[in-house]
Amino acid sequence: MCGVYKLIQASNLLKSVLFFWVIFYLGSVLDPYNQGQLSVVLMFFIGILSITFLTGLSGQISLGQGALMAVGGYACALGVLNFGFNYWQSIIFAVLASLIAGWILGVTAARLSGPYLAGTTLVIALAIPSLANRYESVFGGDVGLSIDFGNPPQWLIDAIGDIGFEQWQLLATLPFAAIALYIALNLVKSRTGRSWRAVRDHEIAASLAGINVQQMKIFTFVVASGFAGLAGAMYGLRGIVGPSVYPISLSLSLLTGAVLGGLRSISGALIGATLVVFLPDLIEWITGRWELAPQIGNYLPAMVASLLLILTVVLNPAGVAGTFRYWKSRH
Amino acid sequence: MEQFLSAIFAGTSRGAIYALVALGLVLVWRGAGVINFAQMGQAMFSTYVASNLIMHEYSYWVAFFVALGVGTGLGAAVDLLVMRPLSGKRSSAMLASPAMRGTIPVIASLGILGILQAAAGMIWVAEERGFPTPVNALGLSIGGNVMPFTAFDLFVIGIVLVTLLITTIFFQKTGMGLAMRASALNPEVARLSGIRTSSVRTLSWAISGAASSLAGLLVTPSANLSPNTLDLILIIGFTATVIGGLDSLPGGVIGGFILGLVISFINVYDSPSDVFLAILALLLIVLLVRPQGLLGSKDVRRV
Repeated sequence: MCGVYKLIQASNLLKSVLFFWVIFYLGSVLDPYNQGQLSVVLMFFIGILSITFLTGLSGQISLGQGALMAVGGYACALGVLNFGFNYWQSIIFAVLASLIAGWILGVTAARLSGPYLAGTTLVIALAIPSLANRYESVFGGDVGLSIDFGNPPQWLIDAIGDIGFEQWQLLATLPFAAIALYIALNLVKSRTGRSWRAVRDHEIAASLAGINVQQMKIFTFVVASGFAGLAGAMYGLRGIVGPSVYPISLSLSLLTGAVLGGLRSISGALIGATLVVFLPDLIEWITGRWELAPQIGNYLPAMVASLLLILTVVLNPAGVAGTFRYWKSRH
Repeated sequence: MEQFLSAIFAGTSRGAIYALVALGLVLVWRGAGVINFAQMGQAMFSTYVASNLIMHEYSYWVAFFVALGVGTGLGAAVDLLVMRPLSGKRSSAMLASPAMRGTIPVIASLGILGILQAAAGMIWVAEERGFPTPVNALGLSIGGNVMPFTAFDLFVIGIVLVTLLITTIFFQKTGMGLAMRASALNPEVARLSGIRTSSVRTLSWAISGAASSLAGLLVTPSANLSPNTLDLILIIGFTATVIGGLDSLPGGVIGGFILGLVISFINVYDSPSDVFLAILALLLIVLLVRPQGLLGSKDVRRV
């Protein structure tokens, strides 16, 4: 058995390293706009992974992952501005802060299921950003706090030449995304991942098999919050941490991406993140030849995303990644 | 004293609206086992239709009843187009476990919400517009004294009480109401005794649509109409439902009034920016101390 685990770990490491170099290469050939978009894809990927764990693997729905991203973002900003951390330290600080937030959330939420959980997390998604206005002196109110990725280090410039702002944003995000991918790949195939699936499929059977269901649910929330917080910290490092950066629609975009790509798989999270981020560009590219009224153009991406969401849920609940897997198993 | 009374009246009139929202949520929950997060999206859409009619010089009451009709139709359409096909998929791997059966309809209803908001944005532009009231919304004056409530407050409370009365009579005294109660209590047995449970389910979606579009019509005069304005009302309505007990109609109504008063007192004596936190605190306290709500049955959380 031990040998099998080593093999799995080695293949996961290989996948993550491959992922790193593919994105790295893409970053060096794309134009600045798409470099920026690609970095947002990575942030969404990490954020959607948190939904993959919660909803796809352990069967708990959360509409409040955007709020946990906000926790990560604010912690990161406070780390940079108030505690004088450099931003690598602040990102770690942000992850720690959101782990704690996730634990608090998990302790209350693990008792709930289905619609109760959905509603409660939705209320949390609305309430947490309103704290920013409540404690304006600390969190900067509606304006928010401004932080950024800073400048690329000299050794990197020496190694690959001039680095633009967007490319640096991508390169700074990439290692975290690769690490997140590695952790996620290992988690899914580990004892933890199996326990999550057991809890999702049959709570009573899972507890008979010796899993402490309540603790497992809380643990899922903690892990998922860590991922969401990491995503949120980098999402904020693009420039501003404020209520308008983490609106309720961010939580819903994450959920849409998770469902479209495939709730139950890590590749699904990546596909979903790519879909959600590039969908507006794609629609603009397709509709560019027609003269659309501005309000139609503005709302078309949301319309298409919502339609896709419903069609996926009704016709193909396993998402894009699930379809691939189905084909692979048939042929 | 003046302040206290006005908080009470404003809270009761807002609470009446929240009670309607809660009523709509409970109806669908009991009828179909789904919390409909698209509910206030449907209400927003029908209110836009009403607002359009009023802009084209139709009377308030024509617009009012057309909006109720649109709300009813939307509710039925959501069930027929999305929820019924979805519940036919129970055997697929994704929906095999009870946890996912509670989760997937929630995601579907969020998709419907997104479609309705995007459609409203496309059709009516995202410009915010006001919405008229049928009666005066300024402080009522009786005998020269300005009262702490408006004629519109009285109108809202009156119309909601009439609605609640009609709903109660419908459920207690009519055959259809009995069929709905039976299907909610035990769908298997109801089906065996000859009730068409799927039609009954569509009916509860339709009635819920009507109730929420009424809530939309009554709440928009005090907020500007835009594709997203009613999201907040949904959150408040959901909390009201949890306070009262998710499967209890009177519970939802009581929860609505309680929440209306709480929010009103926070607005008057504290600051409006604390409303969200208060809602969250209230929700968490209820869920931790009495998860079945005030009047809900014990095992309601087992989805």
